[in-house]
Amino acid sequence: MSDLRDTAYATAILHEVADLLAKLAADGSAGAIDLRAMPLGPADRARLKEVLAQGAVKVSVDAGGPSEIFETVYPGVWWTCHRNDAGETISEFIEVTDCPQFLKSQPDDIRAGASGLRRLLE
Amino acid sequence: MDLLTFARGPGMYWAVTIFVIGVLWKLAGVILLRAKRDLSEARKPSAWTGLRAILTRSWPRRAFVHGTAFSEVLGYAFHVGFLFTLVFYLPHVLFFEDVFKGLLGVNFQRLFGVPWPYFSGGMVNFFGAVAVAALIALLVHRIVNPVKRLISNFDDYFSWLVTIAPLVTGMLTYGHVGAPYQTLIAVHLLSVELLLVWFPFGKLMHTFTVFMSRGTQGMQFERKGATL
Amino acid sequence: MKGEAMRNDDREITLGEYLAARGVSRRAFLKFACSLASLMALPPSAGVAMAEALAKAKRPSVLWFPFQECTGCTESITRSHEPTIESMIFDMISLDYQETLMAAAGHQSEAAREQAMKDNYGKYLLLIDGSVATGLEGAYSCIGGQTNLSWLTEAAKGAAAIIAIGSCASYGGIPKANPNPTGARAVSDIVKDKPIVNIPGCPPIPAVLTGVLAHFLTFGSLPELDPLGRPKAFYGETIHDRCYRRPFYDQGRFAKTFDDEGARNGWCLYELGCKGPVTYNACATIKWNAGTSFPIQSGHGCLGCSEPDFWDKGSFYRPLSVAHWGDKATLGGAAAVGVALGAAAALAARRRQDKIVKGD
Repeated sequence: MSDLRDTAYATAILHEVADLLAKLAADGSAGAIDLRAMPLGPADRARLKEVLAQGAVKVSVDAGGPSEIFETVYPGVWWTCHRNDAGETISEFIEVTDCPQFLKSQPDDIRAGASGLRRLLE
Repeated sequence: MDLLTFARGPGMYWAVTIFVIGVLWKLAGVILLRAKRDLSEARKPSAWTGLRAILTRSWPRRAFVHGTAFSEVLGYAFHVGFLFTLVFYLPHVLFFEDVFKGLLGVNFQRLFGVPWPYFSGGMVNFFGAVAVAALIALLVHRIVNPVKRLISNFDDYFSWLVTIAPLVTGMLTYGHVGAPYQTLIAVHLLSVELLLVWFPFGKLMHTFTVFMSRGTQGMQFERKGATL
Repeated sequence: MKGEAMRNDDREITLGEYLAARGVSRRAFLKFACSLASLMALPPSAGVAMAEALAKAKRPSVLWFPFQECTGCTESITRSHEPTIESMIFDMISLDYQETLMAAAGHQSEAAREQAMKDNYGKYLLLIDGSVATGLEGAYSCIGGQTNLSWLTEAAKGAAAIIAIGSCASYGGIPKANPNPTGARAVSDIVKDKPIVNIPGCPPIPAVLTGVLAHFLTFGSLPELDPLGRPKAFYGETIHDRCYRRPFYDQGRFAKTFDDEGARNGWCLYELGCKGPVTYNACATIKWNAGTSFPIQSGHGCLGCSEPDFWDKGSFYRPLSVAHWGDKATLGGAAAVGVALGAAAALAARRRQDKIVKGD
């Protein structure tokens, strides 16, 4: 039996996501919500997973352990879950952006790769 | 030594010791007084039924209700609220069970078969609020009413203060309001210790003596043939 | 390799360069910086800013001195898989002295320590675990023939800041417990003229140290501290305030023994002596072993190990509200005294009555 009290936190988060998404649509400014910042119960998580279901894009990243990012059914709303090598979750975010920073190639990594490729070809 | 360690340690130890010494001093001091022997013939074979005056005197006779109902109702509201918070809140229950076990050497539940009942924090808080509201109303009445004001003394006001302090500090502690929890609970314990130390030396002794005086009076009148 | 004392020249490169040389991608570092920001209750955007600042930071020289300790703090911080937030500690700093982890020993290690102190005078961080013995002028705890007390006073002169790890270094801890035979003192009792951060806990949560170091490297200063010198980001709330069993406390559902129905249902452990309401730490949110569990979740009440003198505050199993009211003997004695006083008062009253009757 689902009680409105059981999903109170999920409801609050979803409202914040809606606000951030409106802002993203209006002027392109990004935002994020840290899911560790509040004590989510099982009913909260279920509700969030229900509303912010997986959409068209799912990415697996292997950087210092596995991370999984998927775009939800609402374009611009991404769900990121970072894990370490032992598979333990170390952080979880809902990001509202056109592309999460984490997915983009990092400038320093690009520079290191550029010189590495150049060396390989010489 | 920090405040909480003092309040949980020597503070409580000495407050309870002084309380016991004081209460027994006052009770023994009254009970051991010479009572004037009634040399008349007893109208009833046994005067023990006069003890029912303890109950019958718990509410004023109809003729007097009009003038006293305000204080009576608020008085009961305070007493019920106060006792509810004192006796039916688990952290307090644990204290009393510890005293019970320490003095009698046996668990409360083992002896009586049922555990000491307690209620949720929210409910206790509600009864505490009722007690505080009643106390404030009674104080206002005491100050505003010219007769009451005239006959009130230090004992009246100070006893009021040491009674409301544990209630207010208790509610603040429950709500984690106004200071870090360690400070709140230390202040609450210290307010209880102040109450215990003052208790035997002022009007708060009515806790015991009200039953003694009503019962004695009832029995005296019963012996004379008049049922109160 | 993790924890190896590094050569002097490695200290000149930035943290970003150091990680790149070890094959840790910037993306991986960004991931951990964001996770660390999350732990420190910073907004998600701070993670990106932190990663950028940390990558440009120079790795400070750190000297870790073990005083009167059980090595539990070191064990706690090294008990992790790599890479993790905890192991970031070792990436972010140049650990020039750590007795449990360093390869050198004996005179070699002391030489390394002295060299590091000389090379980085005024800039190194001192990490202390264990209390400082002051009895017999510090003779109770010595390393290499020198007392911990003199090590501390000497090393503090050239330190930029001191981090006291664990309850022993923060408050005196177990060695200080009554009767404190070695004269154990906290670091802050000895050093008065340097910034000190206390990271108490027995042991402390490893991520707290990472957070403090990250703050130091990102902002060049120590994080905001509470009156006991603890970083507010991690010690700002009590266990009780963030405990997942709090609804049971409010509803009045308590476990009465460690194996009754209440305990099995995960009810509040107040009656079993939990000190959660008076203990400040992050155990209820960050938890232990990468968020696996913490004492209350595993069924045991909080011991209050991040508070001063927790060993001397009475039984771990005595509920907070059960103050010490005395005992049968004391109250029996008090009752006897009370009755005696009452009898004396009554006797005096009777004597007065007799006098009145006699007409005096």
